[in-house]
Amino acid sequence: MRLLKRLLRDLNSGLSPREDEVVRINDQYFTLGSALRVREGLVYAGCYLGRDRRLFEPSSILLQALASEPGTRKAHVDRDTAWLFVCGRDIFQVNIASVEGELSLGSHCLVMYGGRCVGYGRYETAGDQRIIRNLFDLGDFLRREA
Amino acid sequence: MRGREFFLERYSMMGRSLTGDEAAPPAIRVNSLRAEDGEVFEVLTDNGVALKKIPYLDHGYVVEHTEFSLGATLEYLLGLYSLQEAASQLPVQALAPGPEDTALDMCSAPGGKTTQMAAYMMNRGVLYAVDASRDRLYAVENSLERCGVANCLVYHGDAERIELGAAFTKILLDAPCSGNYVTDPEWFSRRSLRDVEANAERQRRLLSRAVGLLERGGRLLYSTCSLEPEENELNVQWLLENHPVDLEPIASPGTPAATEAFGVELDPKMSLCRRLWPGDGTQGFFIAEAVKL
Repeated sequence: MRLLKRLLRDLNSGLSPREDEVVRINDQYFTLGSALRVREGLVYAGCYLGRDRRLFEPSSILLQALASEPGTRKAHVDRDTAWLFVCGRDIFQVNIASVEGELSLGSHCLVMYGGRCVGYGRYETAGDQRIIRNLFDLGDFLRREA
Repeated sequence: MRGREFFLERYSMMGRSLTGDEAAPPAIRVNSLRAEDGEVFEVLTDNGVALKKIPYLDHGYVVEHTEFSLGATLEYLLGLYSLQEAASQLPVQALAPGPEDTALDMCSAPGGKTTQMAAYMMNRGVLYAVDASRDRLYAVENSLERCGVANCLVYHGDAERIELGAAFTKILLDAPCSGNYVTDPEWFSRRSLRDVEANAERQRRLLSRAVGLLERGGRLLYSTCSLEPEENELNVQWLLENHPVDLEPIASPGTPAATEAFGVELDPKMSLCRRLWPGDGTQGFFIAEAVKL
């Protein structure tokens, strides 16, 4: 939960999952309606939040929930930039179409395409460029299955 | 008892003349949890994909032309659609689980029909998914996440024996089967009648378990992508003779299932089940729906 809470804080999210509603399976976190009782052999439980790695890897479900929050920082990009991002690339400042919230050096933001979230990153300096450093993107689905 | 000629002769005896070279075009299903059909159609069309609505499916489109893999697009990664052949979209559409249901997908991997069930349930109710292969369940988990499913409990276990502590209103048993030659170019050299009979036996055990897990009045949708009557009509005949169930009509394309198989007379109600034969725009499929009495 520590890494999940840190991610939510970094993205300026107002979400705060209640610990008593969170189910942990190995390194993965889920929220589950309290009426459901879980049994042996459970591998996936309700709403998947993500998993602990070096940083918290948010699920696609959590990313879209964060994207629907008005207070989270967001950088909107076009289709080509979004595609390069899900291929693992960083985003140059020049390719950011618009920003919601205050994007300062070191801050985290969701990367948005067409009103949906394709991942998140950190606003940084790289040489003489400002970039959004890719921290996680939905291309992870393809990399997992490879 | 194997080989191309042997099986084609069987299909001919069932009244279907096939070449063994029939194919089915790829298809997608729009994920109504994440997108409207029109949005997906427009964005894929704008990117050069030729799609055609499949008239008998709620959210299915044939892919007539594409220059790139539809399994590696932004829209796919965002869960706006899934790759799902047309016939395989029919079982869940026929079962039509809703938000009020406690539903079970008994053999869920790789998860296409599980995510389709969640979409029909509008992410409400409770959906259980089970599969015996832990490795194949990773694909189920990825599909659930990608498609934004939030009402599903996934269990690793053998559906023949698993205890879930719930009585179900709707069960999908898309049973492990011998498959058909449309989706496997090596099918004729891989399969024998002995495989078919072994699969049929396992399917009967799964059918028994499914009826046991179903509440009275609950509905069981049994489907296979096999063309072999042992796995289809003969198993449904066995189900009728051994369990308190009755067959229900199914709104689906295809032909009525056989009421006679290789000289064996079957229950006339068998014609309520549907068969989809290769060559009619899909792969082979069999669908039966039963209600528990």
